[in-house]
Amino acid sequence: MNCYEHTFIAKQDLSESQNQKLIDKYENIINKNLGKVLKTEKWGLRNLAYKIKNNKKGFYFHIKFEGIGKTVEELEGAENIDEILLRFLTVKVKKHDLDINYFEKKDDYKP
Amino acid sequence: MKRKKKNNSKRKTSSYSKLNLFQKPGIKFFRPCPLSGKDAPLVDYKNIKLLKKYISESGRILPSRITSVSQNKQKKLSRAIKRARLLALL
Repeated sequence: MNCYEHTFIAKQDLSESQNQKLIDKYENIINKNLGKVLKTEKWGLRNLAYKIKNNKKGFYFHIKFEGIGKTVEELEGAENIDEILLRFLTVKVKKHDLDINYFEKKDDYKP
Repeated sequence: MKRKKKNNSKRKTSSYSKLNLFQKPGIKFFRPCPLSGKDAPLVDYKNIKLLKKYISESGRILPSRITSVSQNKQKKLSRAIKRARLLALL
């Protein structure tokens, strides 16, 4: 089993229920294909550094999971077809650090 | 005459090198890598605060001779910055 980190950006004009559906959809794909989801993070609506497909903002989601090569293949295959997503990135890591969340602190300061 | 001149020059250089030992550390001198050693921050594509220190205003990666980052860490830095760029974080 390998450790992976997966981030994807969705379009900004989505409701919260749609966001939850997106996460459930991709978590299901991971769990079905010999994978195991450890943690999911919502980074929320963020400004993009540059325009992607004429979008200035996007919802960021981050999934940490264990799996094999096939899980990543299936996951990225499904995301390539999806029109709601703008970008995605999978990174293989040696070890998961589940404590640090770089994007959570900013949300706490706002209110 | 030539020998005398040579001797003079040698003495000058030696005295300079001794002076340098006692001078305050400036730009010319060796600075330890800020990213390795104890209590060093993790180089990660999600750690945007750290990565922003190592890019110029126009978004280019700064060379290690300016930032004195070690060779190993510079490789990891550049990879992290490129990943962050792909996700439109930088």
